Formats: sequence, structure tokens, C-alpha cells
Amino acid sequence: MTATTTTQVMVFVGSGGVGKTTLAAAAGLLAARAGKKVLVLTIDPSRRLASTLGIEGSTEATKVPGFEGPGELWASIVDHRRTFDEFVMKAAKHAPGAEKILKNGLYRQLTTTLAGSQDFSALEKLYSCYKDGGYDVLILDTPPAQHAREFLEAPAKIAALFQEGIARWFRDPQSGGAGFLQKIVSTGTRQVLKVLETLTGSDFIRELGDFFRTIEGWQGRLQERTTAVHRLLVSDETRFYLVTGFDRAKWLEAESFARDIRQAGYHLGRVIVNRAWPQWLAEKTEAPLDPELEPLHQRFVEYDRKRAEALDRFTADWRGEQKVLRLPELSERVYDLQGLAKVAEALSRGGW
Amino acid sequence: MTEEIHFVTGKGGVGKSVVAASLALKEARRGRKTLLVELGERSFYKDFFSLGREVGYAPVQIAENLDLALWSGRDSLREYAHHLLKVEALVKLLFENSVSRSLIDIAPALPELAILGKATSGPRRHGPPAPHQVLIIDAFATGHFLALLQAPRGMAEAVRFGPMGEQSRAIEAVLTDPKVTRVHVVSLPEEMPVKESEELTEALTTRFGLRPDIILNKTIDLAGVSDRALNTPHPFAVHMKDVKDRQNEMRDRLLKTGCPLREAPLILSDDPWALTGKIAEVL
Repeated sequence: MTATTTTQVMVFVGSGGVGKTTLAAAAGLLAARAGKKVLVLTIDPSRRLASTLGIEGSTEATKVPGFEGPGELWASIVDHRRTFDEFVMKAAKHAPGAEKILKNGLYRQLTTTLAGSQDFSALEKLYSCYKDGGYDVLILDTPPAQHAREFLEAPAKIAALFQEGIARWFRDPQSGGAGFLQKIVSTGTRQVLKVLETLTGSDFIRELGDFFRTIEGWQGRLQERTTAVHRLLVSDETRFYLVTGFDRAKWLEAESFARDIRQAGYHLGRVIVNRAWPQWLAEKTEAPLDPELEPLHQRFVEYDRKRAEALDRFTADWRGEQKVLRLPELSERVYDLQGLAKVAEALSRGGW
Repeated sequence: MTEEIHFVTGKGGVGKSVVAASLALKEARRGRKTLLVELGERSFYKDFFSLGREVGYAPVQIAENLDLALWSGRDSLREYAHHLLKVEALVKLLFENSVSRSLIDIAPALPELAILGKATSGPRRHGPPAPHQVLIIDAFATGHFLALLQAPRGMAEAVRFGPMGEQSRAIEAVLTDPKVTRVHVVSLPEEMPVKESEELTEALTTRFGLRPDIILNKTIDLAGVSDRALNTPHPFAVHMKDVKDRQNEMRDRLLKTGCPLREAPLILSDDPWALTGKIAEVL
């Protein structure tokens, strides 16, 4: 039997605290209800969401408990460190002493400190699930970022690290004797390293040298992988979903991000303005409001009216952009699958 | 001369930047020369305050006694390199060679260290003059912030000798001096931010010996509303009852951390100066 069906990929991006993870899971629920076999890859779910998805304390792909179909809903947490280490070990399969790098102090620091390393492992996990196949839809929740576009910049930044040229700088002098700086071929390079040495101390240069010599020889494979990931991200099967909060600075960011995405050749699925209005505002009621609450209520209603107008003006400015979707701020939190289903319903009411 | 360095951190989306700007405004209003610093490559405040001009490494004035700057790791490092090497040609060689540029970008912890070096240069009397009395740094969110604080220590361990090792130890000493450095953890009366605040304050205390305070942001003052009014079926009342219960629960949890707790009210305004001005009054 040959399976030629394509895998659909959805990447949820946005700055921290906007509700990305929950919306990614809700989108997964909708796709699975439509009969697809779905895997949701989450980064840092709340305990309640993790337990709702049945993935608390586990990094294996798990079938979401209580989901009845017709499709299948699976979820998994991306274990950043493990994914990164596994990736490096896989890429270095035949290189001698590859495990040495896992102990290198700078490598340990790099994988915790370097902006983008989390994004990189998220993408790596996505790509390996894509290659392994077995799902109709893959949904990736991305690490919290200050700015949505940092996610797009991450692969290139990591790839630069494994660029062949750099390792060559630190090539082992083999013969010993003089310090390795003296053995470097190009004098220009030597000068630069000397300056760097003055700045940081020779220990630091030595650590860097160790690091790059260790990874030398298998950057090729790392580069291949980064290219393959990029190819997947720009492919027709992949859509980006930008989740944004409800304030002016965030909208401006969303607008420029949408532009960046298109310019870089990615496909923008939708822009989701989350918590665009409070749910209580939309609820019809016969119940009277106690006069004690009247002034506060007035202030909230007025505030939300002004914000709705501002958002209207703003989205009207997105010429030709038909893809802005608004969701209310739901009063319920997601404690269980029913809670998640409510978010999913809001998503589909919003025009998902 | 820098007298105080304030770091503002917390979970993404809790309103860290607005609280940081409010703290800066408060200091500026007290007549202290204040620098509000954002970290990274792109300015949030440029759009937030509709400044209409670029925000970069060199401070720009945005209010009386209040300047704003955007520090990237690369800019901080470049300034440090210039101070140390004295010769611009050498700095150029380092920063304008494409390979060494990417080396600097990726060299682990180097940008973080340069940023902290810049922040602490006044108290360490090292580097270019630091004319502001108070630095308010709108720092990274939780995990990245811990990594930032870890950078000097990690570097001092990895590199024992040479200027980098020495600098790292000096930076660490300033960061852990409670007379100079203050950390403010911004939180919201919600489960996830509070959980993160609990973990973060714990990490700051045990790993760095710092004693942060917590600012519970966007609280709604319901003291004047009776339980009778809240216990009615109107959707707004139901919502406010939920808000009140949650605020009480989260306040109790945050008090248990043993850290000083302040509250910043939810201000129903999109005007940046009204918003930060009102929070500045309360803090």
C-alpha cells in the first residue's frame, strides 16, 4: 500500500501569554472532529491543559483521553534539551567523539541561553514527526517569544553556528607546540581572533575552539537538516497562524509580522485576535444589574466599545487581508476536554 | 552615576513592559535621572508611546528626567570592545567581518554578558560613564531572564582567567548586591502567571540569593462592592464575582512566597501616558 496523502502542518506563533497553546490544542480538536488523525506538539502547556491532553509528565505522543472521534487526537510535549541533544547525536552519527560535545560547557550554555535554540528544537521535533509520517495534521505550538518573528529567524541563527567557515577558524593545529592561533592559515582571521582574545581572554577562545572543532565534520548534515526544515515551512502544506493579544502595540506587530511572513515566502493561515472582547459583554440576560456594580459596568462597557472601534479601524487598514479572526475572552478556564471543546467552538464560530 | 538597577521580569503577556515604564516614570517624577531600558533588537515602546522616531542604543528623552534606550547584545559588546581596545580599527575588524560577526552572535552567553556588563558598568566603575541615577530594565520573560542572570556565573566558571573571567565575577557581585540591584516579578491574578511567579521567586532566592518583590498587575478594586451585589445572576456580576475570588486566591498564594507584594490596578485606558502615569502613582 502506498500512502500518498500529504500531511498538513499548522504552526501557531505569537508573543508570550496570548493563548497560543490553548488555541493550538483547540484547532487540533476541530481537525480531529473532522475525521483527521492529528498530533498537537506543545511546548509549555499549563498543568490543566497538559492533564486535559493526557500528557502531564510525559514526552511521548499520547492519545488524548476521552476524545471520541471520528478522527484521532494525539498530543505531545516537546522536550527541548532532549530533542536538541538527540538531533546533534543523530547528525554526528559517524563522527568520532561526538558525545564529547554534550559535555562541552559552552554547548550546555548554548542550548539554554541562545535565543532561538528552543524554537530550533520545536522545529526539529516537528520535522521528525513529519518524516516519520502517520498523521494527517501536525500542529506546532511555538515557544514563547518577545516577538513573533523571532521564531522565523531561529533556524538561520542556529545554522550560522554550524557553518563550515567558523569551524575552520579553530582547526586543530595537530602538531602542537605553538598555540593554535599561530597555526591558522589566514592572517586576517588570526587578527580577528587575537582581538577577540584580548577582549575575552584566551580561555574563552580555547573553549570556543574546542566547541567548533568538536562539531567540525558534521556541519554538512546539520545544514541539510536546516534546509529540509525550511523547505517544509515554506511548502504549500504549511500554514502559519498568528495569535495576538488585544492592544495597539500587538496589532502593529501582528501587521508587520504578517508582512514578513509573506515576504519570506511562508503562507499565512490566519491572524487570530484573542480575547478581543469579554464574554459577559455578549451574553444576553434578563437579570438586573445591582446598582452597586453600575458605575464599574459602565466603565467596562465604554472601554470595550472604544477598543472594538479601534480594532475595526485597524483591521480595515489591512488592505486585502481577509484573514483576521476575533475571539472573545472566555470566562471558563480549560480544565478538561469540555473546556477545550468550548474554546474550539468559539474558534469555529469566529470563522475558523 | 548609577545608584540603582531595577530588573522587571515575569511571564510573557503579564504587562511587564507597561509596569517597567510606570516604575521608570515614578522615579523620573521624583526628580531622579532615569533610564528605561528595553532589551533585544526591536523597540516595544516606540509603538507603545507612538514616539515617531527610532529607539536605539543611545538614550533618547521621552519625558522630563526620563530617557529610553534599546540595548542589543551586539551593541553592548561593541561598546565594551571599544572601551577595552581603544582602537576603532580593531573594533571594526571584529564587528564588520561577517564570520566574526556571526561568531559574536552565537558565542554563548557573550551578548547576555555584554548587556549585564553595560547595566553594571556604573557601580563597577568600568566602561563608559553611566550618567543615569536609576536604570529600569524591561528584562526578558522568566526563563530567558534566569539565563541572563546565569550568564556571568557560567562564564566565570567556564573561563577562570583573563578579562572575561574577572569581569564576570565583578558583574555577579553587583547583581547580587541588594543595595544596588532590585528584581520586580510582575504577575497577574491568574493560574499560569502566578505559578510562574512562585517558581521564579523561588529560583531567584535559592540560585542567586536575590530577594525580588512581586507586582500583581491588573487587579480590580472590588472593596466597595458588597457580596450581595456580586451574588446576582447578571453576567457582569458573575464575572466580577469570579474576578474577586480569583484575586483573593492568587494574592494569598503570592503572599506565601514571602516576597513583598504590591498591586497595580487595571487601568481602563489605551492612552500610554495616562496608563503608566496612573500605575506610577499607585506603585
